[in-house]
Amino acid sequence: MQFEVLATCHTTKARVSRMTLAHGVTALPTFMPVATQAAIKGLTPQQVEALGITLILNNTYHLNLRPGTDILQEAGGAHKFQGWKHNLLTDSGGFQLVSLSKFTKITEEGALFSSPFSGEPTMLTPEESMSIQHAIGADIMMQLDDVVSSLMTGPRVAEAMARSVRWLDRCIEYHEKSGRKDVQNLFAIVQGGLDPELRDQCLDEMIKRKDRVAGYAIGGLSGGEAKDTFWRIVKQCADKLPADRPRYCMGVGFAEDLLVCAALGVDMADCVFPTRTARFGVALTFQGPMNLKLSKYATDLTPIDENCPCPTCKGATTRAMLHHIVTLETVAAHAVTMHNLTFQAQVMGGARDAIMQGTFPAYLRRFFDDYFGDAGYPEWCVNALRSVGVDLLEGKDDAKVVQGDGARWEYSITNKRK
Amino acid sequence: MSTLSFLVSSSPSSTSRTGTLRLTRSDGTSLSLNTPGLVTATSRGVVPHLSPDLCAQTAAVRWVHTSFESFLDHNPTVPTLFQGKNALACFLGHSPSTILSLSLRDPGDVRLMPPNGDAHVSAVCVRGVRKVTPASWRSYVQSCDPDITFALTDVPFTAPPYSQKRLIKSVERSLAWLADVLRSDFTNTDHARPSNIFVHMAGGTEPAARAAFSEGLVTALYDKEAEAVKPLKTLDEGVAGYTFDLAPLRVTLGDRLLHHSKIAAALVPETIETADLTEHTDNLIELMNANLKPLPRDKPRLVNSCTGPHEILKMVKGVGVDLFDAAWAQRAADIGIALDFQFPVPERLRNSAEQGDSPTGKWNIGYNLYDQAYAHDFHSLLCDDTLICPCIACTAAPSSLCLQHSIIDSPRVITSASPFTRAYLHHLLHTHEMSSHALLTAHNLSVLDAFFGGIRKVLGRDGGNKVLVEEVRVFCDVYDASSALFDQALRCWAQVELARGKGRLAREKVIDST
Ligand SMILES: [Zn+2]
Ligand SMILES: [Zn+2]
Repeated sequence: MQFEVLATCHTTKARVSRMTLAHGVTALPTFMPVATQAAIKGLTPQQVEALGITLILNNTYHLNLRPGTDILQEAGGAHKFQGWKHNLLTDSGGFQLVSLSKFTKITEEGALFSSPFSGEPTMLTPEESMSIQHAIGADIMMQLDDVVSSLMTGPRVAEAMARSVRWLDRCIEYHEKSGRKDVQNLFAIVQGGLDPELRDQCLDEMIKRKDRVAGYAIGGLSGGEAKDTFWRIVKQCADKLPADRPRYCMGVGFAEDLLVCAALGVDMADCVFPTRTARFGVALTFQGPMNLKLSKYATDLTPIDENCPCPTCKGATTRAMLHHIVTLETVAAHAVTMHNLTFQAQVMGGARDAIMQGTFPAYLRRFFDDYFGDAGYPEWCVNALRSVGVDLLEGKDDAKVVQGDGARWEYSITNKRK
Repeated sequence: MSTLSFLVSSSPSSTSRTGTLRLTRSDGTSLSLNTPGLVTATSRGVVPHLSPDLCAQTAAVRWVHTSFESFLDHNPTVPTLFQGKNALACFLGHSPSTILSLSLRDPGDVRLMPPNGDAHVSAVCVRGVRKVTPASWRSYVQSCDPDITFALTDVPFTAPPYSQKRLIKSVERSLAWLADVLRSDFTNTDHARPSNIFVHMAGGTEPAARAAFSEGLVTALYDKEAEAVKPLKTLDEGVAGYTFDLAPLRVTLGDRLLHHSKIAAALVPETIETADLTEHTDNLIELMNANLKPLPRDKPRLVNSCTGPHEILKMVKGVGVDLFDAAWAQRAADIGIALDFQFPVPERLRNSAEQGDSPTGKWNIGYNLYDQAYAHDFHSLLCDDTLICPCIACTAAPSSLCLQHSIIDSPRVITSASPFTRAYLHHLLHTHEMSSHALLTAHNLSVLDAFFGGIRKVLGRDGGNKVLVEEVRVFCDVYDASSALFDQALRCWAQVELARGKGRLAREKVIDST
């Protein structure tokens, strides 16, 4: 991997960098769409490519179940299997194992679980995770970490953090011996729950291994913790992580979260949110999410966003037409998915330009004003951005501020067709 | 006002024919289409699984047929709010280089319905049954401005059988409704007659009733009737083409329509009796010819709800049908079938009797990609690697520029990619990924398009009609005409569908929660 920081924001911790991997260049900060089972839901790889996306994520747990590593190896890796020519990142499989498997027991050796096929006890070790990710051939692989819920407290959090460090060592050993270090890059995952002390210890240990890892992920978040805690942990990690390694915040995908993370110095993030919400008929826009199932869109003859360069908006597909087919025809999911992925890419591309041009604080203020101006600014975003020198409320004495996690959208899927 | 011309080129003595259909719109655009050819089916106005960008990349999609009834759930109907030229095509997002035809009802929908009346057709939308009168149909069509309009027709969708009296009524109403859409006695130009009217050949399964319908078309009109449609001397003079909706006829003939209509996974029987997909073809041909006998030969003939290539060939040969809907091939894409057949039969399959992959020893017209046999199969979709299928699954999309989101994004052009493999499609089908159906739809339409190209090529030769007869015989000898492939795929599809089950979205939430 080549990693080059091109510009840093004069005010915030944001930066623009260029990450060169075996399958091309990806400009950071960026959002990574999730192709869980080797496909971005509903889209062909060419459609994803045409949207200007250069880095996607596959889930190791799923690919290991289907098609399985033998088929991936026969195909010549996951890139060839799914026809994706650009960069690919895989998780370790651990998170989904813990969240999807009925029975999982973590031992020092690895994660013991019952096979979804045979029900037999099966062990996922750090070495096994590396081996599966080698078969997949992703440009970026994640270490196996000991995942606990972000709401967990007590000694288990410390144990998981310490074990994640030990498992990182085993992943590094296995990966270095595999001879694939030139083409595949291993990222460490910082754990430690919501405890700043544990996070610090984990950071210290993992930074010691800097020469043997290509980048760092911030794990153990986005699991239902308070947003005000979330950003403080992200900031703590981003502040301490080395500047010459990419930083990846796992499971983050709301536009406001992405921009706050970027301002705190995060380079990459992933989430199923934009693609999943598209299937439920929610289009993301700079004025906030738009639930196309609502009856008010039934006769709305404008595109989702007239300024959006995606094929759906460029093709002048109206909100009324999307309302007519949403959740009834797969084409609606495809159309809104293309739009939402473009929206995410535009938010991050706009951030890159603003950072390059030294206008990122203004970009943040404009984005939040458009997105939350009517509904109210989430207080946590205001706090987080103040910590890096941007005051969203500056000159807006009567701005509304919303306490808590600040979601207010048309997300609600229960809205009946009227 | 657009015009449609149809040039038939084959000898008057033969039934089968080739032709060129040319559509000229009022803005000057001119589209032409060679026949025999295909018409792409839609659902709620869109080609299932193909977003407009993929439709545009699928050359086989030259003509899409849409039904209006799904829009009846909103009053006023939404497409009629979208004023202007080709309003419906613009609203639906179909390319201007695609011909758009419009009927009230989905020609493949054979669900039981409340009876029609003397002055209304019962149509269905998600909010229930709606009565559509000839006057409202005319106004919908005027606002939608499709290239081709299907006149209202009275097909009973109450439970068969239908009495003689019912069939006579059906013929009378269909003629009256055609006369209504052809009316020219309005003073207001807003009520101008829609251009390019196609009429469904009514009369049910009674040859005499069908003949009576056609006689009604060509009989000279007098008095008030003539005055209403002036300057037309007969109704047929105002008709641009004839359509045959075979689905309701099949229902009357006792076909279960399992293999070519949409069906909920839960309703797929555990065991399906294999049927002959040409079981009713000869009967249907007889009924169709009863209509065509009194009618002029120079109008295009369109068939909806055919069962597959065997039936198509028989209807090209025995009726001289020019256009066939592709609903069956699109349905095959829904249930994981990649079509793979050619006309004329390629050299490698001739004299290969008993060596085929179907239970009868003949060759299947495609394969069921759910089958475990394809898990490790890294070939592209066509068996014959020397063939080039222009679809998005077999050939990379034409190069186009990728979006750029910042000044430092390197400009990129989409470059050629390898074809998608059967193993990948097998994987997508079993993981319930929607892109499998997009790729298979594009592929199946392309295979069907090439098949029609083959028919045209044969008919274009000297003595083409004789060659066609011989080649159809070879085709039927080599390729299996049974429903076995569809039955097997349908069962696999239902299994995967049901395994995902009702809680699919709920489960996705869990699976996706990274
Ligand atoms: Zn858009
Ligand atoms: Zn193809």
